[in-house]
Amino acid sequence: MKSKSELTDFYYKSLFPVLKILDEDRKQLRYRIILIGIGFTLIYGAICIFIFSAINAQLDILLFAIIGYIAIGGFIYKLLIKDYTAEFKSKVIKPLISVIDEKLHYSSKTHIPKMLFNRSDLFSNPDRVSGNDYVKGDLDGISLHFSDFHAEKQHRDSKGRTRWSTIFKGLFLVAEFNKKFKGKTIVLPDTAQSTFGDLIGNWLQANNFKRDELVKMDNPAFEKEFVVYSTNQIEARYILSHVIMSKLLRFQKNSKHPVYISFIGDYIHLAIYYDKDMFEPSVFRSLLEYKVAMEYVDTLHLATGIVQELKLNQKLWSKE
Amino acid sequence: MSTSLIIIIVIAIILILMYNSLVAKKNQVENIFASVDTQLKKRYDLIPNLVSSVSKYMQHEKSILEEVTKLRSDANKPNVSDKQKIELDAKMSSALGSIMIAVENYPDLKANENVMHLQRSLSEIEEQISAARRAYNQAVTDYNNALEMIPTNFMASAMNYTIKDVFVIIEEQRKVVNVKELFDKQ
Repeated sequence: MKSKSELTDFYYKSLFPVLKILDEDRKQLRYRIILIGIGFTLIYGAICIFIFSAINAQLDILLFAIIGYIAIGGFIYKLLIKDYTAEFKSKVIKPLISVIDEKLHYSSKTHIPKMLFNRSDLFSNPDRVSGNDYVKGDLDGISLHFSDFHAEKQHRDSKGRTRWSTIFKGLFLVAEFNKKFKGKTIVLPDTAQSTFGDLIGNWLQANNFKRDELVKMDNPAFEKEFVVYSTNQIEARYILSHVIMSKLLRFQKNSKHPVYISFIGDYIHLAIYYDKDMFEPSVFRSLLEYKVAMEYVDTLHLATGIVQELKLNQKLWSKE
Repeated sequence: MSTSLIIIIVIAIILILMYNSLVAKKNQVENIFASVDTQLKKRYDLIPNLVSSVSKYMQHEKSILEEVTKLRSDANKPNVSDKQKIELDAKMSSALGSIMIAVENYPDLKANENVMHLQRSLSEIEEQISAARRAYNQAVTDYNNALEMIPTNFMASAMNYTIKDVFVIIEEQRKVVNVKELFDKQ
């Protein structure tokens, strides 16, 4: 396992020649995007003015025009950065991941299988999934998978139109756990207790019919941040020892986003909810900028660091 | 329906709910204690093997070994109450802890495969006992709370329920090992 500074070193030293070339590409791309952006805005604006002067424009048509502008603009932007993104991922992210452990494989276009997401039992089963940046393989002898993941559910509104709502978006990670267990233990962010206070919140949690039995943990800080449900009171505490609880708390603090965790079938499933894509290249900021570099390194370190952080590589005797 | 009848029905429902919740809490304590007991028995079963493997080497620690053997035979006596089991467990944990520390002083013993195997199975069982103890303590806390809080306390005293003891968790086990602190000490 490489430390954060080793990864930063690798980024700046070994990848420097590649980054310089890529950064030149980036500058040209930025220039092109600005140029095309201005051109597109002018043409789109002119067409709109022409149409609006011909018909008596209502507010809803204006709104429609703005939405159209954002949608087409976004599409053109994605098309423009497509090659650059692919280049960046294969020349920067891929080597960064293989330097962490050569047994880790990276694929920029695929994502974690839907089956693993469903198995985690953290969210309801999605109707449509997407994602990218799938890392899969062995790290210190522990099988590890993670990727960007977006799960959506289909709805029909009163007019029969199809709508999609997001169930989960963010980083999804699955790793082998170092203890053997039979049941199911789920750790969720504690929203009820923080919204409704201890008394009502606790009552709501205890009466959550969708989940198994509520497990009250004996670590007040952990209990404040998370709520635990399990099929077995003792097993939940066997998995969530005092050491693991304080480590999960620290992990949640480092990730700065809501964290959902489940322990099922000898695996730990971790979902970190956030709105950004993991390894997307920056177009308007230099790749050589320290802050930009640290974002990639931090995300990678957070995901792969889980093995060392939770000491998943130190298997208990019963699992050997 | 008259108002008084409605009031009687509501009171009856409340009483039934209170009664059922108290019984559920008592049963939860008993269920979990049964699991604790199973784990404790597993640990007691390892004792004879452990004592016979280390006694040849440990001449200075004879008293601890004798104590462990005595604790085991006490635990295996019939009619040991839950309270006594809890006390025996605390003594056993501390005695086993001293043996494990003493093992470190005998290089031959440390390298002995049988002892290594025993050490690992003991630490695995300790983990499971610790989890079971924590689950038991939570169940007892819920039960004791119901016994002391209004309005369930009236019902509980009518049912002759009494406060139960929790396992004392040794503070050392709760602490996360802080490597930095260890280095600072030196």
